[in-house]
Amino acid sequence: MLFYTGCRLLFVVAIGQSFACKHLNQHEGLFTRFVLQGIRDWKLISSAAPGLKFRALSSSSSSSSSSPPSAENTESPETLSRYADRPWEYLESEEYIERYGSKPVWANYRRNHKGGVPPQQTRKTCIRGDKICGNPCPICRDPNIIVHYKNVNLLQQFISPQTGIVHDPTRTGVCMKQQKLLNKAIETARDCGLLAVQLPHVDYSKEDYSNTHGAVAPTPAPVSLRSGELWYSWYGSIKPDERELARVKRIYKDYLKPDV
Amino acid sequence: MQFTTSPSIPSSSLKGGSSIHSRSDIIHSMAAFSFTRCLVRSYFCVKCVDHVQTRLQTTTRMFCVSTSRSTQFTDTEVQDILTKITGLDLKKVFQPIRQQLTPPKYKLMTDTELEEAVRKAEEQAKHLLKMPPVLPERKPINDVLSEDQMLEGMNTAKYVFTDINFNVPHRERFIVVREPSGTLRKATWNERDRIIQVYFPKEGRKITPPPIFKEENLRVVFEQDRHEDVLNQCVVQFEPDSAEFKNVLMLTYEDIEKHGKYDLLRSTRFFGGFAWHLVNGRRIDGLLVDMLQRDLMQDAVRLVRLFNLVHPQSESAQHAQRQQATDLNLLKIYAQYESNRAGFIELAVQTYEQTKAPSSF
Repeated sequence: MLFYTGCRLLFVVAIGQSFACKHLNQHEGLFTRFVLQGIRDWKLISSAAPGLKFRALSSSSSSSSSSPPSAENTESPETLSRYADRPWEYLESEEYIERYGSKPVWANYRRNHKGGVPPQQTRKTCIRGDKICGNPCPICRDPNIIVHYKNVNLLQQFISPQTGIVHDPTRTGVCMKQQKLLNKAIETARDCGLLAVQLPHVDYSKEDYSNTHGAVAPTPAPVSLRSGELWYSWYGSIKPDERELARVKRIYKDYLKPDV
Repeated sequence: MQFTTSPSIPSSSLKGGSSIHSRSDIIHSMAAFSFTRCLVRSYFCVKCVDHVQTRLQTTTRMFCVSTSRSTQFTDTEVQDILTKITGLDLKKVFQPIRQQLTPPKYKLMTDTELEEAVRKAEEQAKHLLKMPPVLPERKPINDVLSEDQMLEGMNTAKYVFTDINFNVPHRERFIVVREPSGTLRKATWNERDRIIQVYFPKEGRKITPPPIFKEENLRVVFEQDRHEDVLNQCVVQFEPDSAEFKNVLMLTYEDIEKHGKYDLLRSTRFFGGFAWHLVNGRRIDGLLVDMLQRDLMQDAVRLVRLFNLVHPQSESAQHAQRQQATDLNLLKIYAQYESNRAGFIELAVQTYEQTKAPSSF
């Protein structure tokens, strides 16, 4: 118990330090430490209550940073699903505004790579099982940011306001797994009408809507021929070539009915 | 495109069989055929072609009879009134859309060139504001072509045979379904739309309708005042004579009417259909009041004239006919006899007459 409260105190001190200094790398390092200590916390909690899921990580870290040190050490169910049910609420909370302001979540993220040109694909995933990598992407580093199709404000940050196309992961820095989730969420949001879609103009001048053709109307009854009437009206007017006619008759002479 | 009566499998993309008639005439025709290469497109009833043509003639004759009795959406006068009511706000029609950006172009123009450019823009706007057609609901297709009991139980799935020739209009395309029970029937309208979307995909249209058209999602979108987006989606997704199209249109119109958000659709291609829907339902009071509040006197008069055209038996139409009323008198007559908000309309007409000089319409 003492160890746990000790850990939380460390958190509070760490956060104080992080918002004091503006240096980017230290900020990121502190983020990582923030999350890693959360993982160590989670291991303690999971040994106590094995039914809890990975999201305990987020709730423990957020609860520990915001709640006073005198809170209980066992995880209550409310703190578990703090933003899991309604992820759009996080974007209005003070925490979010303090951390990101009015800029998009990927604004202050910088990838670490060799050379001037970054690899044209970001890393496959930041979180593998329990381990989180160094310098996680903007979505993975903050566990309260959940990619959900109803979280329209978050999704809008990843769409260009002028062209309406989704930003490339090389620009935003998100890992490929999160980029796929983002793409799916944006598509679902567009299907449900939560995001604007650019549609082509439909031209109605060329289609005929009378629905009288045999393909879509009931099939007309078959016509019985009167005597002397030809099956097609143009049979009588077109005269076949005599040689062609003789040739065809010769080929099929075994099958012809005697001409009446 | 070729048509073969030979027993060999046709090389065209039709996967069904054609009926063969063994008559001596056919031999003559085959020779003539190879000589002339005539083109016939029907596959099931060879005699259909002539009959369809005669049917077309009879049905157009029938249509002529029905239009003379009641005003239709496609009448020139009605279309004229509706286009004038819709208005032409170039700023709204040519609102910047989200697309791939190009560097801006700047041109130096004289006054005449500028007028020419504005005229061209107005023509383009008129083309963009063409109204989607208001059609009667399409009748369901229940046509069984053959029942083969011997095929029952041979397959566990339905087979759909489609004619995918490129230059056939979609409404003349034959699409038939062979059920596992052996019946060969024509595909229903829903099946037709889905299959045509599979083989000839239209941009923006999905095979299954997107969830935006469900009630709860529609409610959310209406709260955000994005009726035009919903209507654009509907127009892209559904055919204009389908039941779902009409249903979505009706829901949108009802919502706009309920909250009085008439200005959302003004200067879009949907305003005409909206006004037509209201006039047919005899509920033009809200729209009239909105027009009078925005000082659109001419539009209000045109709307009342449209109402009189569509309902010539109504009291206001008969009184107007008797008195040969024009302009503001039409509004007064309508307010007197038909309207629920008579007070407001009369007051507005009086204020207009007092404040502005009776300018020529």
